[in-house]
Amino acid sequence: MDANKGREVKEGFRYTDKHEWIKPDGKGNALCGISDFAQNSLGDIVYVELSASPGSTISAGDVIAVVESAKAASDVYSPVSGKVLELNSAIEDAPETVNKSPYDDGWFIKLELSDTAELEKLMTPAQYTDFLAAGG
Amino acid sequence: MGKRTPLYEKHLQLGGRIVDFAGWDLPVQYTSAIEEHMAVRTNAGLFDISHMGEFSVKGKDSQQYLESLVPTSFSKLEDGKGMYSCLCNAKGGIIDDLFIFRITEDDFYLVVNAGTREKDFKWLKSRLEGDVVLEDLSDVTAKIDIQGPSSKAILQNVFSGVNLDKLERFHFTYSKFNGSRIMISNTGYTGEAGYELFINPETAGALWDILLEKGKPFNLIPCGLASRDSLRLEACYSLYGHELNENVNPVEAGLSWIVNSDKNYTASDILRKVKAEGPGRRIVCLEIKEKGIPREGYRVMYEGADIGHVTSGGYSPVLKKGIAFALVKTGIVKTGSDVDIVIRDKNVGASVVKRPFYSFNG
Repeated sequence: MDANKGREVKEGFRYTDKHEWIKPDGKGNALCGISDFAQNSLGDIVYVELSASPGSTISAGDVIAVVESAKAASDVYSPVSGKVLELNSAIEDAPETVNKSPYDDGWFIKLELSDTAELEKLMTPAQYTDFLAAGG
Repeated sequence: MGKRTPLYEKHLQLGGRIVDFAGWDLPVQYTSAIEEHMAVRTNAGLFDISHMGEFSVKGKDSQQYLESLVPTSFSKLEDGKGMYSCLCNAKGGIIDDLFIFRITEDDFYLVVNAGTREKDFKWLKSRLEGDVVLEDLSDVTAKIDIQGPSSKAILQNVFSGVNLDKLERFHFTYSKFNGSRIMISNTGYTGEAGYELFINPETAGALWDILLEKGKPFNLIPCGLASRDSLRLEACYSLYGHELNENVNPVEAGLSWIVNSDKNYTASDILRKVKAEGPGRRIVCLEIKEKGIPREGYRVMYEGADIGHVTSGGYSPVLKKGIAFALVKTGIVKTGSDVDIVIRDKNVGASVVKRPFYSFNG
């Protein structure tokens, strides 16, 4: 078996202890999604419902989506506060994209960050790697 | 740490993700629950079902004793054949569903659920009467299920001395594997043709390995509990603790067909009455019309009124939509009716459909 399966951590991202990621573009906006660990733990994702509405302002910890896997339904939380710019409706039509490409095509929402300092509270790739090694 | 089957190490080697099920450490999936599901529908899948319980009932009064406990007629049961039935309490509620195999007229083999094994054994023991010897063989029995259209060909390769063409559905036979006796029954819980293999724990690992090896050309893969659950739900097989429990009787559970004995048995008066008059609530099959996955406990609404709840729900890889069993009040909906399932405070449209979602393929 591939020992790294479900454990990929990408540089340039920040991570939460609930296995969401955020990827700032350096211009005040960012994409959010769920980590490789999260998609692998969920198993086959069969349905995604993006509950955040474009234009609305959300806080860190707000539910932005519900992901249904073959086993269970799980909430996805926003890692930071901001204004919702865009939803990736492609993952609603093809939920398996989240399994196949959690860090790229499988992003959930695009945010305009309220406070870039919030990013500093999240785990760096190195910290998240350690977090996973310690059992997630 | 839960109890481990003799195949626990195999599951780890195969990358199985281990979860707790009824106190057992078992693989929920190896690679993908949907892939495993479809492998059983199109080729074949291998399941470790060693957690289930097996009891022996022997003695000249065995049949009479069993007939006094279950609502199902023994008239079609013959040597070498099994049947599905259930144990009911005094109110007609289901203590467990089980398979009863008749070896001879004074020798029976019962297969019961893992989570109810102790409770069942106590109940059976408390009801002993006449020349009957009851024994729990669960700890000395491993069980491997091979299921799917290719399962016969694979099994025939391993057991060349058994003519599987002659082993009809619900029948069983014995053979030898590595010097140990093995029971092969043409049964299963997936909606596909397939077999259940009962063998001693010491030999189970070697049997598992050779089945995987001989199955490789047929695309046989190991399958976990998640696919077992989605397969049984598509095929509309009840699961104890979900559709079935001590407060639901078999008629309500949609199992009137196993309430057909004309003998006196536990709660026979109650069950005959409810079968004749019709139950006040009944398990129905629901199919989501658009998107959403129904889960156990979700409410079912009809024209704004709460009529019941989902007992099992999930995603059907064959239908590619959410499906569910629901226990609802009778006399309100029928096949074709539109209902709503409340998913996270939202009403999601569903239809009452004919059972099963997936017809037995064998």
